[in-house]
Amino acid sequence: MKAVQRTGPLSLLYAFMDATRGRASVNGEIPRRERPIGLYILETGGCEGCFMEVESLNGSAFALEQAGFVCVSDPADADWLLLTGAVTRVCAEMLDRVWRAMPPGRSLIAVGACAVDGGPFPAGYATLGGLQALTPVRRAIPGCPPAPQEILHALEELARV
Amino acid sequence: MMGMGRIIRSGERVALSHYHLDAEQWSAMLSAPGATLPLISCWADDARAYVLLLEGDRPLLTSTAVEERRYLAPSSRFAGAEWGERVAYDLYGVEAMDAHGNGASALDEGGWTSTWPLSSRPGPAAGGLRPLAGSHLLRPEQTGLSGPLELSFEVRKGKVRSVEVCAGGAHRGVVSRLLGRTPEEAMPLVSRMTAGGFVAHPLAFARAVAQARGLVPGPGIRDVWMVLLEIERMSLHLFDMARTARGVDAELLATHCDHAREAIARACAEQGVSRRLMDMVTCDGFRDGLEIVPLAQAVHAVMQPRLAALEELHRVFASRLDGFAVLDVRLAERFAVGGVSGRASGRSMDMRRREAGMRLEALRATGSSQGDARAREGLRLAEIRDSLKLLERILGSIGLEDDEPAPDRTDEGIGVAEGARGDVWYWVRLKDGRIESLHVRDPGVSLLPVLGAMLRGYPISRVPAALGSIGISPAGIAL
Ligand code: SF4
Repeated sequence: MKAVQRTGPLSLLYAFMDATRGRASVNGEIPRRERPIGLYILETGGCEGCFMEVESLNGSAFALEQAGFVCVSDPADADWLLLTGAVTRVCAEMLDRVWRAMPPGRSLIAVGACAVDGGPFPAGYATLGGLQALTPVRRAIPGCPPAPQEILHALEELARV
Repeated sequence: MMGMGRIIRSGERVALSHYHLDAEQWSAMLSAPGATLPLISCWADDARAYVLLLEGDRPLLTSTAVEERRYLAPSSRFAGAEWGERVAYDLYGVEAMDAHGNGASALDEGGWTSTWPLSSRPGPAAGGLRPLAGSHLLRPEQTGLSGPLELSFEVRKGKVRSVEVCAGGAHRGVVSRLLGRTPEEAMPLVSRMTAGGFVAHPLAFARAVAQARGLVPGPGIRDVWMVLLEIERMSLHLFDMARTARGVDAELLATHCDHAREAIARACAEQGVSRRLMDMVTCDGFRDGLEIVPLAQAVHAVMQPRLAALEELHRVFASRLDGFAVLDVRLAERFAVGGVSGRASGRSMDMRRREAGMRLEALRATGSSQGDARAREGLRLAEIRDSLKLLERILGSIGLEDDEPAPDRTDEGIGVAEGARGDVWYWVRLKDGRIESLHVRDPGVSLLPVLGAMLRGYPISRVPAALGSIGISPAGIAL
């Protein structure tokens, strides 16, 4: 029987040191992109409401790809990590692993109240209380949950800066 | 020789459907001759161990004292009790004696700030995360579910033989956050228990609280609750249908489901309520200003015209789901699997049927009872049709009186709501108006013991598609 060793939540503190480094700014203009921005979506222990809204955004009712984004299933293909949920202590390891698998230039975006500061699930015995516990959160999309349209607008805004 | 139900009733009645048993009665109940009543849920805290059973379509709750952190395991009789016993150990450190199963952690994967965090005597933190057992893993981000659920498999010749589930990644300590609050203070959090039940969870909670307070919601409130629940049912069925369709590359069907779900959300928003009906249910009714008639009409108007196309596309793609991830009816009965998964296998339990004021004539959905993904998908569609009919019936006779007697106030209540993904149950005990004890049973829990059988024989790569068609919320399971 194989056993998989896992790291603890604290290793995240290191992993997120570069999380707030932004993408290159082009003075407010929409950057000309040669390829769409790859989005990897990760749920880390919320009610799943935000995750499901991002999934809806990635469905057929919204023009995510026309707006210059594509959801990817491998973190190695991702430019931005869209994080939903309150970051449980157990999920911190997963977050760390996914973040490390992303290529340089990666960005982290908190989607929804949970991902920012835990929302209805602030820090407790099982939760860290959102990304705020790990790193200054500069890219956040508020709401509980935000609507897909709101998420899309916010992503477009973030792509501009 | 007394059967199970009679043994339970020989105990001390402490609430409408709750009987205390002493250790001897508890043991007799677990070895009672005759039929085993279906188990809805099992849980324990520092003081007592509980099993919630179904007798016909009525809940029957029984409990016994936990002595020296131990109790005789309900899983010695009820196979589905194992999950609750494991959760009770993780949260309270109380041990089920003679338990069935391997006793692996359900929630505590290490990494918490203490062991047995809800116990009156918590233990020290375990440190880092425990290594995961099992020869093959599906990482929490790889399951295709909306939340983190760790699945480990025993595999032979590339095919799944058995499955172990650990839900620690999704555990947020919800129960500990609710204890000591008034039901009104608790409601916002209950309303975020899981997006798989933004209406069903608060509704089951409100019903439990009403029973504890000796109240019966009037017919007007009851009808509003029914309308909200049916709108949620349609929306979530469409979500699960889209996922299932994508799992078999039926993109066109998924597209139609996406658009229909979004149309419902927009209709809700245009009527001034939240897109997914969050925060609509309150302990004593519904949010101020909610205009239920125009809301029901608006949702009906956007959904009804879309149904024919969905049915046509389902016919086109359904064969791709034939025989996929089958739930056998005997397992569904044994583990009281409800919702679409249970009914599509032939277990015809729908808790809406026992509700006072239900327009039963609208609930017609029948279909294949093959128990496979095709049957589930077909049933979801049929239930959307029923939901629309139910909206019509309710609009035609909204708030009509009937006389449902109020229960005595016992400060204890059980509430159930038949959500889109199955029957959601709450048990609550109040003390001085605050929540002294609480249990939540999301329908996903009843699926855990049957997952292995449903996934057996498939390569792990097919597991996400199977899980999508079953419709599970890790947030609801883990809390
Ligand atoms: S922010 Fe709100 S909707 Fe989003 S995951 Fe948290 S509780 Fe759910």
